[in-house]
Amino acid sequence: MVRRVDRYVVPAGVVATLATLLAVFYLPVGSVLVSAIHADARLTIDPLLAVLGDPFYIELFGFTAYQALLSTVASVLLGLPGAYLLARFEFPGRRFLRSVTILPFVMPSIMVAVGFLAMFGRSGVLNDVLGVVGLGPIELTFTLEIVVLAHAFYNAPLVTRLVTAAWESVDGRRVETARTLGASPLRAFRDVIVPQLLPALGTAAVLTFVFTFMSFPIVLALGGLQLATVEVWLFTRVQNLALAEAATLGAIETALSLGLIYLYLRFEAMQLQSGGESRGLARERLVDGWRSLADPRRLALLGYGVVALVLFVGPLASLVVESVTTPEGRFTAEYYAFLLSQQTGAVTGTIQPSQAVTNSLLFGVGALALALPMGLVVSLVATRDRRGSRLAEALLTAPLAVSGIVLGLGMLQTLVFGTEVLGHRLTVTGPVAIVAAHAVAGYPFVTRNVTPALGAIDDRLVDAARSLGASRARTLVDIEVPLIGAALVAGAAFAFAISIGEFDSTVLLAEGVDSATMPVALERYTGNRSLGPNLGPATAMGTVLLAVTTVSFVVIDRVGGRWEQ
Amino acid sequence: MQRRNFLTRTGAGLAGLTALAGCTEDGTTADNAENGDTTGSNTDAATDADTTTEAGTNTATEGTTTGTVADLSTLTVATYTSFTGEDTAGNWLKSAFEAEHSDVTVEFETPENGVNRYIQRKSQGASVDADLFVGLNTGELVRVDEQLDDALFATTSDQVAGSDTVKSSLQFDPDGRAIPYDTGYISLVYDEDEVAEPATFDSLLEPAYEDALITQNAQQSDPGRAFLLWTIHNKGTDGYLDYWSDLVDNGTQILSDWSTAYNAYSNEEAPMVVSYSTDQVYYHGEGVDMSRHQVGFLNDQGYANPEGMAQFADADNPDLAREFLSFMLRPESQAEIAVRNVQFPAVSGVEPGGDFGEYALEPPEPVTFSYDELAGNVGGWIDAWARQIASS
Repeated sequence: MVRRVDRYVVPAGVVATLATLLAVFYLPVGSVLVSAIHADARLTIDPLLAVLGDPFYIELFGFTAYQALLSTVASVLLGLPGAYLLARFEFPGRRFLRSVTILPFVMPSIMVAVGFLAMFGRSGVLNDVLGVVGLGPIELTFTLEIVVLAHAFYNAPLVTRLVTAAWESVDGRRVETARTLGASPLRAFRDVIVPQLLPALGTAAVLTFVFTFMSFPIVLALGGLQLATVEVWLFTRVQNLALAEAATLGAIETALSLGLIYLYLRFEAMQLQSGGESRGLARERLVDGWRSLADPRRLALLGYGVVALVLFVGPLASLVVESVTTPEGRFTAEYYAFLLSQQTGAVTGTIQPSQAVTNSLLFGVGALALALPMGLVVSLVATRDRRGSRLAEALLTAPLAVSGIVLGLGMLQTLVFGTEVLGHRLTVTGPVAIVAAHAVAGYPFVTRNVTPALGAIDDRLVDAARSLGASRARTLVDIEVPLIGAALVAGAAFAFAISIGEFDSTVLLAEGVDSATMPVALERYTGNRSLGPNLGPATAMGTVLLAVTTVSFVVIDRVGGRWEQ
Repeated sequence: MQRRNFLTRTGAGLAGLTALAGCTEDGTTADNAENGDTTGSNTDAATDADTTTEAGTNTATEGTTTGTVADLSTLTVATYTSFTGEDTAGNWLKSAFEAEHSDVTVEFETPENGVNRYIQRKSQGASVDADLFVGLNTGELVRVDEQLDDALFATTSDQVAGSDTVKSSLQFDPDGRAIPYDTGYISLVYDEDEVAEPATFDSLLEPAYEDALITQNAQQSDPGRAFLLWTIHNKGTDGYLDYWSDLVDNGTQILSDWSTAYNAYSNEEAPMVVSYSTDQVYYHGEGVDMSRHQVGFLNDQGYANPEGMAQFADADNPDLAREFLSFMLRPESQAEIAVRNVQFPAVSGVEPGGDFGEYALEPPEPVTFSYDELAGNVGGWIDAWARQIASS
């Protein structure tokens, strides 16, 4: 009996994962993308030819790739020093800082736009400060630069987080061995540490490129239509119900993104080295007496700290300030009073902030609970060295490579409107559907964190346990999971963050205000004119979102920390 | 009517179950559950949900529910979110209408993608599930007709009392389906401390207005599209692209939508923004700096963007729907809608009082394109414009 359960545990996980994916991802997305190659009941390549033969679209794809490349470079440059700081130095608040690096991930773009204008705008904080010291002003709004900076705001933390996790699990003994054998610190870094960081850095860079390639609201909120990306076009095609054209743009985007992910996975598979149980590197104290402050590395980190303060803390802090400031610049508490009035309001259709907070947390925990096993299962498949396992992983990572607009449209067509099955129209909506959709959006992050860690486990450990009679499930729980604890926790944090920040599918699958989440409430308050046409109420909700998320991530890291080494 | 009613009530009860079962006939439950949630009768909904979940099957409960709640009828109004909620026109209409019809419950449905939701439902063969739509503009009606062969809306204007009192200048549906209930006028809002009043379209090209204007993407924003149409109205279909090329050369910025654009204006990124002529209704009184809320009517015009309402052809309650339409056209409703929705009344002779009456500005010469002028053209105009901007 035990053996039969054992034999089926991983396959059963794969089947359950695939079934979930099929229902809330492949089917909806397929229903949209099929019209790129199918019209009037026959296969056709006309829509593809129409797009690929249109110089405007070629230029659009070119510009989109260009800004994504710039954004990726900026994100890596701004994210790597953060990883170095968090992984290699000890200082008060380090764990807290590591926990909150994920915050940008959950911020709705309208709030990022508000924060960015308040920070980097013509009369923003940065120009005020520059003015005091006799510099500036700098004009950043409506430029490619500010769009790239906003992309870095979202994605540099991704680089920091993934690389920090990898750096923390670098095998310290190998470095020591290299040093004993006479390698200089630089040489040891280059030959021992860098190869172990590359998979994480590569993952972060590829994901950043894919995400910024499909960037949408932030571009037209800070840059303007002159800087339009493919995704902006896709969105407007959907709004005008030019669905075949939208599907074609979406299909090309997806093909490019998936192709890139596939190439990367092949590269990563070549890089992965298996190791033993790692001991980690000892952290240096960041401030170690006055003399340490003259250390060039520490000075450089100080400079980085200032940049990070301006770029990451600045917009978020500005958002909080905006939530207590009238358009005329005076202090006000009326936006929070508005939240209270929504809380007590009895009028139909009112979203209560506390309900939105509760829903967000419940969906987040549900999505996390579902995404962890899904991600782990996919990683197990991916690390088996079989033919096609790279391709399988790439296809299973597709939720990262499909535009949110395409997925939303697909969900509307298949799940909300219902699909005819045996003469009945089946609809799938409500809290469970939301959790499933969130888990599907989040599990690839688990996979991307876990696969490299799992690949690095010495196969001999698993083989030994199995030959001593441990079941597959037992080996997984006793040997593999503890060794990838840090990666699982990192993945869990991402899954939770994705769920908290998700808007597109939530708003479609929610059945009225009872399933509304924080981003949905925030969007609703954006359109509320009871305090005049300003974003005040939304910024108050944004601040609540920020506070709830901060606490959540600190808790996740603390709880998860028990499984870390 | 009976069917509609029972489905809606059951839908509320099924809110919890749908998620688990994910399986109902006709695809009606999802939206009806939403209605149920918004009725305000939360206790009922909760109780129903419990019963349903315990019962375990939806069909069994549907039978029960039909039997227990039979006398109330529900009118489902599809609209945009800011029409509903505390102190809104929608909420006032609901209370006033229900007060006159003690057996009727008015429920709102506010899909994220507006009328597109119903176009898509119709074209996919899913049921429409609402009785009337409130908040339809000319361009959207053109899209409805371009997308669908079957009628989404019914022709009702000769059956709706009061539809003959609507200003003829605002009528935009030649087929008498959409009846205007209010209108906004697109204008510029500017900071008089920074720039002089922008008097004409040509003046926007002058160096004095360099980097001065923020507008919205006509592909996705109502005021943005209205402003583009306004320029086409003035510069003609053969001249507007050149005009826009000059406008962009002079530093005009095009952001996604009204919220983003107005927020950028509030942050002093530019001294002019495309907005509504009702701006000062929100900004007046002691301590408010009115200099940043000056309304500019280019060429002494404002582009009218009338909002219409229409009964769905598949409405379960067509009679009640038409009664609601005519209720919205009554002078007292018109005044309330104007004040609460901050838009001008569509019926002539209505004078909204209060702040609205005092601070909402009407353009000397309202202009707009008719349905016939837009049909077959508007998509191409916007497309050519957007491509030119994105390529520049």
